[in-house]
Amino acid sequence: MLSSSHSHKPAFRHLLAGDWLTIILSAIIITYLFQTLWSHEHAAKVQIRIGDKVHAAYDLNQQRDITVRGSIGDAVIHISQGKVRFAKSPCHNQYCVHQGWLTHNGQVAICLPNQISLELIGAQKPYDSLNY
Amino acid sequence: MRKWLIRLAVIALIAVGVFSFRTLKQEPLYHTQSYVFGTLVDISIYGETEARAKLLTDHILHDFQALHDQLHAWKPVGNNQPGELGALNAAFANGSTPITISPKLAAILTDATDLSLKSQGLFNPAIGHLIGTWGFQRDEFTAVTIDDAKIKALVKANPRMADIVLKGNSAYSTNTSVKLDLGGYAKGYALDMAASYLRKQQVKNALVNIGGNIIAIGQHGDKPWRVGIQHPRKPAAIATLALADGWAIGTSGDYQRYFMLDGKRYCHIIDPRSGYPVQHTQAVTVLIPPQNNAGVLSDVASKPIFIAAPEDKASTAAMLGIQYFMVMDQQSNIAVSKALAQKLDWLDPEVNNNRHVKLVTLP
Repeated sequence: MLSSSHSHKPAFRHLLAGDWLTIILSAIIITYLFQTLWSHEHAAKVQIRIGDKVHAAYDLNQQRDITVRGSIGDAVIHISQGKVRFAKSPCHNQYCVHQGWLTHNGQVAICLPNQISLELIGAQKPYDSLNY
Repeated sequence: MRKWLIRLAVIALIAVGVFSFRTLKQEPLYHTQSYVFGTLVDISIYGETEARAKLLTDHILHDFQALHDQLHAWKPVGNNQPGELGALNAAFANGSTPITISPKLAAILTDATDLSLKSQGLFNPAIGHLIGTWGFQRDEFTAVTIDDAKIKALVKANPRMADIVLKGNSAYSTNTSVKLDLGGYAKGYALDMAASYLRKQQVKNALVNIGGNIIAIGQHGDKPWRVGIQHPRKPAAIATLALADGWAIGTSGDYQRYFMLDGKRYCHIIDPRSGYPVQHTQAVTVLIPPQNNAGVLSDVASKPIFIAAPEDKASTAAMLGIQYFMVMDQQSNIAVSKALAQKLDWLDPEVNNNRHVKLVTLP
């Protein structure tokens, strides 16, 4: 592409203001589309880990129940329009369920007995790790 | 026609440029989570290739698992054989016949004894029997029937670290009520171990988190590592701070291991003086400046401050040489030392609006 545009270089001189405007606008639109459609970084997501593996990441802007199998049984993770929580867990103490809704980037809920963790991830992480 | 070709070429170039910029922008950050020590181990390594970072974390996790087996207070390691600490506890209970222990365990016991003395016994890893009575030597915590007579007897038996006699590579206890539980020490020890291993391997930037206790090496790219401090009653961080090279942070809380009985919360942190779980405090966080045992201190130092009565907390911190600390009481009132206050960025809107929470700055 570089060489072909180079060989047509004189043609640039004939470009009018409107042409440049078209090019610039297109570039802006394409950049914007790349940022939003080709990457999910700006959409808040929940990342589910089972044991030491990342199981999946789900968009938060939906209403959905996800059942995942942890080390002691099935847990139900409830996603509801921008927030997420453990809805059901086979663990004894239910600390994970009692944690309630996670809403902001960086928030985590961990079920130690079942080895499942939820972490809200977005464009910017407010911190690298959590002290608790 | 030509013009269109040019336009298309320019647009395509820009698109490729944006795409490669985004790809280049991908950080050399390796992040992994595993379950060891009955808790979550979260390791970030910055600036190494993924393959090397993976080898390094695998090595660390392997060491952690070995340490866990060696120091576990109540779980047999395979074949129903007790780990090294379990065998030592069995010997302590049987009388004062010395048994051989590893140099590593001997060093740990010497250090833990020093720290216990320094905290005037508030940090006391010898109260394993009390911890067991309260049901906290199990994988899951259910309410126990509180046996007041037994608790009183265990307190009266006065198990102390000073009862343990170390001679070369052997140990015995002059008090059969001593039962070691290094639950408030081992994770910190593991942090120091991991940090020292990573530095030896020339790793410049890493963040190791074992069950909430964190130690930092180097930084995250061109910025320091940033950690959040969990709110004890909300699923969110209350504040964040930069954790510079060599610093460690630890929190003792009543919200990770506890059970509820008749509307009261019984947490795993037990006051060795009364034998009962501490109920006046939700969380204590300590921040430890760089030193050889920063990890151990981040684990150990929060306990005596947590156990001390509200009016004694500041003096207990001073006694331990802790400058950076924060206390949350049962009403979620926050008291924070001046030194730590200067480092915190509050996230919690209630703190920022100064509603419901009282922020007290300590000397």
